[in-house]
Amino acid sequence: MRRWVPWIVAAIVMLILPHVFAGGFGLSLLNRMAIAIVFALSFNMLLGQGGMLDFGHAIMLGFGGFLAMHAMRLAGLGWYVPTPLLPLVGAAGGFAMALLTGWIATRRDRTAFAMITLGLAELVVAVVLMFPSLFGGEEGINGDRSDGPKLLGFDFGTQGQAYHVLAFWAWLCALLMWRYTLTPLGRLANAVRDNAERVGFLGYDPARVRFRVYVLSGLFAGIAGGMQAINDEIMTSVNIGSEASGAVLLMTFIGGIGTFWGPVLGAVLIVLLQVALGTVTDAWQLYSGLLFVSMVVWAPGGLSGILLAHAPVVRAGRLGRLLPDYARLVPGFVLTLAGVAALSELGFRLEAIRGGASAGRVLGLPIVATEAWPWLVATALFLTGALLLRRTFPAARAAWQEAAQ
Amino acid sequence: MSGLVVSGLRKSFGSLEIIKGVNLSIAKGERHAVIGPNGAGKSTLFHLITGRFPASAGKIMLDGADITGKSAHDIFRAGLARSFQVTSLFPKLSVFENLRCGAMRTHGAGMSVLRLLSGYRALAEQTEATMEALGLAHRRDVQAGSLAYAEQRALEIGVAIAGGAHTILLDEPTAGMSRAETERAVSLIRKVTEGRTLVMIEHDLGVVFDLADRISVLADGQVIASGPPAEVRGHPAVRSAYLGTAAEVLA
Repeated sequence: MRRWVPWIVAAIVMLILPHVFAGGFGLSLLNRMAIAIVFALSFNMLLGQGGMLDFGHAIMLGFGGFLAMHAMRLAGLGWYVPTPLLPLVGAAGGFAMALLTGWIATRRDRTAFAMITLGLAELVVAVVLMFPSLFGGEEGINGDRSDGPKLLGFDFGTQGQAYHVLAFWAWLCALLMWRYTLTPLGRLANAVRDNAERVGFLGYDPARVRFRVYVLSGLFAGIAGGMQAINDEIMTSVNIGSEASGAVLLMTFIGGIGTFWGPVLGAVLIVLLQVALGTVTDAWQLYSGLLFVSMVVWAPGGLSGILLAHAPVVRAGRLGRLLPDYARLVPGFVLTLAGVAALSELGFRLEAIRGGASAGRVLGLPIVATEAWPWLVATALFLTGALLLRRTFPAARAAWQEAAQ
Repeated sequence: MSGLVVSGLRKSFGSLEIIKGVNLSIAKGERHAVIGPNGAGKSTLFHLITGRFPASAGKIMLDGADITGKSAHDIFRAGLARSFQVTSLFPKLSVFENLRCGAMRTHGAGMSVLRLLSGYRALAEQTEATMEALGLAHRRDVQAGSLAYAEQRALEIGVAIAGGAHTILLDEPTAGMSRAETERAVSLIRKVTEGRTLVMIEHDLGVVFDLADRISVLADGQVIASGPPAEVRGHPAVRSAYLGTAAEVLA
């Protein structure tokens, strides 16, 4: 019974959220998060749980999304798939695409698998652009989710109604993907990740384990695609391409691939970064890139890894002891961040000025990229911050090590 | 005939022939040791029998069924399991999960995504029993990668026997162990392979003469002697193959 608590809490939180963020901006943020959560969790079925680095995961989302889009457009032709069920059409699309590509990709593992997925993804994008009648070419295809007859009085035209559909699917998919981790296939996926050869000597064909996991993951990615079709009411080749595949790798890794819930954290954070930073600066992609690289280098366990490392400390009631040492990290961290941000914005603005733009402002601060002093200040901020971090970090780590014992 | 029968087995890598026509006959329930100098082809022989490499020529029969050229997972399903000389576990899974993976197939847990693992009661019970027999019960939830070396070696044997295979191949189960650890491992092997056919590669001749019903000596890709310990001990070909340190043990 206790293991249901997080799911019930999540459901309640998801029901409350649209009332807290009732505006159009808040709702569109929540909708994007719901889609990203399903997509990232499906990606981690491969990367974290199955040891498969898929460079083309968006082809499953994209194909599911396109299929759902076509199903949505049927409403105009007298046929009709109820909007809340469009993710099921997406699931069929993702499943079909996974069958097709997985049949080749899962024969191999590790680097070979990753390279095959990269090649297949390029291939699929090329095919999508080759058939504009089916996929709309560069412009994509669009539809209207409120076109069909009303269902119990809802036409799902408003963002609030769409949110409830998407939130339901996100919750259900997360639950099903968590349940999967407790099944024989879920455990075999872990075993294949750790040591594929040994799995062969225990009566299972590791390639078939990979194939089944891949297809199941594709099905959930397809559901995310169907959700995206509902939310955006348009699918383009961008949704199926390498940028979308890169984004899901980014958010999953930042959230942490070592736990089930890590990708959920990553999805929420990256969507927030995209939208929140996107309103402040044009260079937001630079920041998520920097965050990703810092994570890979300094915290390969991701956010969930950092949190998990503190679980024993919290359980022992020693978190308070860490706070002074952690607090001493803050100045260095803030200065480094300020320096990196200033340098990024200056560089970005310099390029924009070359392109004919005028000097801009970020958070009310003027960005004067054509003079020397802002660059000097930014560099000084960064170097001071980095030095401070270097000096304060060993003590913080030692404090953690002591408290975690 | 029942048991494991290898006839005319050959294996070449390029122009280099490693296994040069091996014949072996191991009766059901027998404890059989394969010994021989380094580079004799013992591990290669194991890899051929268990389907890691395909044989170049020859035939392998398990309980009357031809398993030549079958894949590793098919050979396991025919009732033959193995351990590895270099520990080969699932490092991020717990001791319990490692053993459960070893027994899943036998308990009919296919690649299902509908049933939960916790629903396979007999599987869990047998896994607990195996863990108990290995003396690893107190390490149940520890990741295999964090175990001590001797514990990993015990788990290595455990994963091989967990599925209840009737024929077990152990590749140097006591490699790298101290005297005391070796003794514990021997009594463990004796206990967990009770009533099964055991074939093992072993360098420690003390272990071999203690445990084996019959011994085959492999030298330069061929079996030069095969028989009960007393017989093999006095065999002139064995003595010449074992010039050096091991000769004292044979004496």
